[in-house]
Order: sequence, then structure tokens, then C-alpha cells
Amino acid sequence: MMRALRQNYAVFLVLVSLLALVAMGCGTAAPVEVVKEVPVEVIKEVPGPAVVKEVPVEVPVEVVKEVPVEVVKEVPGPEVVKEVEVTVEVPGPEVVKEVMVEVVATPTPMPSMEPFVIGAMDAVTGPGESYGTVVVQAKQMAVDEINAAGGINGRPLRLIIEDSKCSGQDGITAYKKLTDVNGVKIILGTTCSGAMLGAAPLAEADGVVLFSASATNPDIAEAGDYIFRTAINDNMLGVDTGNVLWADGVRNLATITESTDYAEGVRRTTVAQFEKRGGQVVAEERYGSDVTDFRSQLTKLLGKDPDGIHLAAQSEFSGGTIVKQARELGYEGPIYSEVVPTGTTALEIAGDAATGLKAIIPSPDLSSAKGAEFLSNFRARYGFVTLPWFLGSAYDDVYITAACLEKTGDDQDADGFRDCLYDITWSGAIGDNYSFDEKGEVVGLSNVLVEVLPTAERTEENQSYKVLGAAPTE
Amino acid sequence: MRELARNPRAALRLTGGNIELWANLLVISWAVAFMLWQGVGFAITLGTVFAIWAILSVSLNLVVGFSGLLSIGHIGFFGIGAYAMAILTSDASYEQLRTEAIPTLGWPFFAALPVSVALAGLVAILVGIVFNRFRDDIYVLVSFGFAIISFNVFLNWRALTRGAFGIHEISRPEIGGWAFDGDLAFLALVVVFLAAVMLVSWFIVTSSFGRVLTAIREDEQAASVFGYRVTHYKLAIWVISAMMAGLAGGLFASWTSFIDPNSFILLESILLVSIVILGGLATIWGSLLGAMTFVLLEEGMRFLPFLPNEYVGQARQVVLGILLVLLMLFRPQGLVGRFKL
Repeated sequence: MMRALRQNYAVFLVLVSLLALVAMGCGTAAPVEVVKEVPVEVIKEVPGPAVVKEVPVEVPVEVVKEVPVEVVKEVPGPEVVKEVEVTVEVPGPEVVKEVMVEVVATPTPMPSMEPFVIGAMDAVTGPGESYGTVVVQAKQMAVDEINAAGGINGRPLRLIIEDSKCSGQDGITAYKKLTDVNGVKIILGTTCSGAMLGAAPLAEADGVVLFSASATNPDIAEAGDYIFRTAINDNMLGVDTGNVLWADGVRNLATITESTDYAEGVRRTTVAQFEKRGGQVVAEERYGSDVTDFRSQLTKLLGKDPDGIHLAAQSEFSGGTIVKQARELGYEGPIYSEVVPTGTTALEIAGDAATGLKAIIPSPDLSSAKGAEFLSNFRARYGFVTLPWFLGSAYDDVYITAACLEKTGDDQDADGFRDCLYDITWSGAIGDNYSFDEKGEVVGLSNVLVEVLPTAERTEENQSYKVLGAAPTE
Repeated sequence: MRELARNPRAALRLTGGNIELWANLLVISWAVAFMLWQGVGFAITLGTVFAIWAILSVSLNLVVGFSGLLSIGHIGFFGIGAYAMAILTSDASYEQLRTEAIPTLGWPFFAALPVSVALAGLVAILVGIVFNRFRDDIYVLVSFGFAIISFNVFLNWRALTRGAFGIHEISRPEIGGWAFDGDLAFLALVVVFLAAVMLVSWFIVTSSFGRVLTAIREDEQAASVFGYRVTHYKLAIWVISAMMAGLAGGLFASWTSFIDPNSFILLESILLVSIVILGGLATIWGSLLGAMTFVLLEEGMRFLPFLPNEYVGQARQVVLGILLVLLMLFRPQGLVGRFKL
């Protein structure tokens, strides 16, 4: 059997390429969204005597489902939404309901319905996958919400998502695919700083806006005029942590740091601020992202008898495990950290060991009305929530983009979009009245100090922690 | 003709079995045309990625295919070349960045490139002297060790490599005021280097030196009985191959303008070995074909339309994996290879 297959290798190749041809052909055809669910809305109730309007029904509802897929796919132009009014007679107190039906039908050129096309580059595979996947989901959810609410000036928003992993090379290829093949001028991304730093010089040269929700590397601040982010620079996070350590009376600090740019960046500024205030680092350990057991490193740290441990983790797994293992080894002093160990996964791993863990997280936290609404919607759609701040950041990015597109009215106008971002003041899921400074860095978001609650008190609403207040500045 | 109609497989015999190669070339030229049609800039980017990976896979094929030393540590030399380029060309503007700076040497690209190559070669000599004591399975394991060690050096030698932060703003090549800053110019430069590497490799494998290497691959003891100093030959090809990888690294660093240790993880090395095996062991054209197939497959997956937006990225990797498995199933000796590992 296999032998016969091998001999038919050429046939196999041709078959594969034909399949690919068909697949790619579909992919490059005009984007068509097939309406799967027919939303039936009761528009108005008319009380009083029976009013029966005879309206010629253009398309019976059943036909919607029977539209052959091939026909829909071959529609070269943008989709057209036809409103079909159907009058229904209801027995009893006569009420006329108008039923709105959306139908994907034959094209009539309607240029105003052409979608705004923007790109997204995220790490949906590879080392940053745990962030990238949920960030993409948050973005897609925001786009769907915007479209369900009627789009931007009546035009739908379309998001083209590419995988940029966490590497410079994939950042560049994804960027080139989006700008060159799809002709996108506005890109939401990337998840990781590595891909961001790879693509940023190109974006700066081409005049394409890069707008990231989660790349926190301090170097990105200098990357250029077209580079924006709602992610808070690591430097700011570290300064606050350093101040908290000092204010809490920690004098001899031990640090354990994941060897990633984010965690290293946080550690560096934390230690710099802590030492500036007069503190001393008595022990430091680093671990690679693939390490799963930290007992020996923690034992070394505890041997130096520190007043406090600073944990800078990038992955929730390591963050949770380190907290758990430090407590198992009998450490009773305070543990300080940033966002990651307060994530859902990390707290699940650490369990009760995480109680009392203090962390600096971006604020206002997601317990605001908008944030809470977003999180409950996200949970309803995807069944879980993790790293809520990054989700909110990605979600807000889409809405900010929509607001700016509404203003410029042109998805090819990167300069106008950039100017709009410089001018905008936004209130969304991650905070109120924040804006961007001349480097494209987000300002108006500040950090707060939180403390993780005992397991019994952790709920979805309180995100498992209580807010102790703003991070002390002095 | 009547016989051909009765038995279409006779056509295979008529072309001497080479129909496979033609089918491959047909598919690839079709895919290239598709990419060009999609967007010229994107195709140029893919071309550059392809050329860099082709240099790497041709160089690795010298070691794995022609000499029979299955090394999965090749990415280490790639990284050494890349970091040498990044560090040597970093100039005074780097001091102004707020984050920790590295030595600012400010060398031009064309001065730094030979050093990248030489440095990779130097490390290869030191490593190779030790590695020459091992064979077969053990060789795989020690080269695995080399990949891990080099990754950790890149990650932890922070004063030189900036550790996990990576080095950015690596300069593009420049000769007398004329810069290769356009994508097409850079592609041309990389292709020139690829041609040079292929030429050198071709000279090596067709020379008597290359035939001794093949003999070593087939039976090391027999080769040494005939009086060849096997270890010298193995060391020589190992160093040459590492230098080519260093060259690819230097080009890669300059092209992406940003490198961090994540670009040089073990996984990339395994990917490289798969490219070599996919293309065919002990064939230079095969490595070229393998690199091209791989780049086109991986990037072509971006055009797969059949999944919801949120999941298409993950699906890309799965489909890529399945296609690789299928290819190995149908062609265990690689696309144009004659020799099986």
C-alpha cells in the first residue's frame, strides 16, 4: 500500500497543490460573512385595534438558510444587508410585530458598506501563546460587538489576525503579510516585545501604526512616532514595586526572576528604585521559562534570610509554583510581585499559599463598571478569564481604533489615525481618561497595590484580591 | 502512445523517475507565483527568509548529509554569528537608550560580517575537538547540549547580549554611502551570499575531500584503515559548516534588526534538521528545495481561510505538522534525496 502511494507521489503533490489552490482561492475571494443566526427583533408593539399591513415579502425566511454556500462565496462585492419586513398576525390582543431579517443577498454596489480593514499581530503560538491567544479573543470579541452594534458609521470593522509569535523574524513576516498582501495601515499588536521590536522599524519607515496591548519592553518607547501602546512600560511598574518594598520596611531583599525581557525589565527597575531608597539585595536567582521546579533556587534565597522576596514572573505557571513552593519551604515573610502571579491560573496553582501575596497591578482595576461588564461578557463567550488587565487592554485598543476610524473615516489614513491617537482621551475597560504622550506611551493609568485574599474569599467579582490603595510614591 | 494510454504509469518510466523533481518544481514555482501575485513586498520578505534558511540548511547538510554527523546544535553557530554582528555594529546612539547598554563598537556591516564568520569558526574548532570523540546517537546528544549551552550564554551574558531584552536597531549593510536598506537590495545581497555558499559546498562535495567525507559517513573505520585521518576531516567540515551558519547569522541579525535569545532556541535547530531531511540528505539542491518548501508551506498557511479568526494561527502550525508528516510518509528520503538517515 505505502509503496503504491510512494510511486504515486507526483499525483499526491498535484492533488495537494490543487487542494491548496482551491483553499487559497477561497481565502482571497471577497470576504463574506454568512449570517448564521437570524436575529429576530421585536421592533415595536402596537397596542389597540388590529393593524395588519400587507407588505410584499421579498425573500421568505427559509430561503436564508438555503442560500448555497458557493453562491455566497462568489459574491465579488461587499455583502448587502436587506431589510425584509414581514407582518405577522398574532391572535389575542392584536399586536403587529415587525420582524427584521438580515439576508446575505445578491450584490448591489454600496460603497458605504465596505468594511474598515485593520490588522492584528499576536503570539497565538510559541512562547507567548498564553497571552496572545486570549488577547486575540478579546480583540475579536470587541470587533464582533462593534459590528453587532452597527459598525463604524455604518461600515463594519474587519480584523485580519496574523501570528507573529514572539520573535523578530515572525514579527517581520506577519507585518509584511498584513501591509503588503492585505494593504493594512493600522495594526493592533504585537503581544510580545520581541516581535514588536522586529516590526517597529519597518512600521516607522512605512508610516504604519502599530498599537500594542501588551508589549511592555521599555525600549519600545523610543521605537518611533507610529508606535503606540496601552501596555504600561515595565519601568513604571518596577519603580512602584521598589517604593512599596521600601515603605513596607523591607531592607534585605531576595529576588527571583524569569529570564524574559518583561520580568528582567521589572526586576531591573524594582531593584534600582529599591537600592536608591537605601535597600540591599542580598540574593538573586534567575530561571528559564522551561523550569518547573524552583525548590533548590528558593532554598538558596531563603538561606540568606531576606525580609522579603520579589518575584518577577512572566508565565503564570512559574509565578504560582514559586509562591507555592516558597511557602512549602517554610518561608513566612512577605512576597511581592506584579500582575502575573495574581492571574487565575497562577492562583489556582498556588492555592492558599498565595494568601497575602502583595502585587503591583495596573489600575484602575477591572472592577469598574465597564471592566466588570467586559469580563462577564468575555467569560460568557469563552468560558474563562485570565490575565484580565491584558484582556481589557486589548479590548480597549479595538474600541479606541474604532473611535479614531470614525473620526478619520479612512482605514488607509495612518497619519490621521496617528494624530487621532495623540489627541484622544479614552475611558474604557482598563481605566478612565487615559491618553498617549508624545512617545506613544499610555499616560493616566496608574498602578495600585493589591493583596491576595484567602481562598474562601476569592470570587470572580473581586478578582481574588483586595485593593490596598495607590502605590506609594515616596 | 497506445501503450501509454493503456498504462499511464509508463510516463513515469519515460522521464526516468525524474517526474518527482519536476512535480516539486512545478508546485514550488506555482507557490512562488502565488506569493508574488499576493504582494511583491511580502514575496521579497519570504525570499530573504528563504535565502537565510537556505544558507543554514546547505551548511548543515554538509555535516548531516555528507558526513553523517547528525547535529542538532547548529542554531548555536547561527546565534554566535548574529550576536557578533549585533554587538560589533552597535554604535554610540545605543548609549542614549534608557535601558542597559552594551559596548558600542560601531563597526560597519562588512567589517563585522567576517568577524561573525570567524568567531563561529573559532567556537566550532573548540567544540569540534571535543565532539570528535563522539559518534552516532551520542553525537546527537552532545550537539543538543551545545544548543542548550549557547542559548543560555545568549540569555545570561547580559553585559554583552542584553540577555532577554535582546539587541535592536542593528544596522543594515552599507558600502561607501550606498546602503542596502531596501528590501530588494538586501535580498540580492543575501542571494549573492547564498550562491557563494552553494558554490563552496559544491566544490567541497565534488572534490576528493568530499568523497572522503562520504566514505566516513558510510564506514568510518574503513576510511581510517585506508589511512585517512578521520578526525581531521570531520573537524574541517564541522568548522566550515559552522562558519557558513555564522554568515547566515550575521545576515539574519542585520535583516531583522532585532535579535533576542528566543530566535536561537533548540526548536529552531530541530526545524533546521527537518528542513535538511525534508529536502534530502547529501544533496545541495535538496537543501535549497527543502528550505523553500518549508518557508512556502509555513507562510502559505497564512492564506488558509477555513477557520474562525481567533484560531487560524494555531491551525497553521497543526496543518504544517500534518503536511510534514505526510511528506515524510511519501518521501522518507526527502524531496530529491537519494540517501536515508
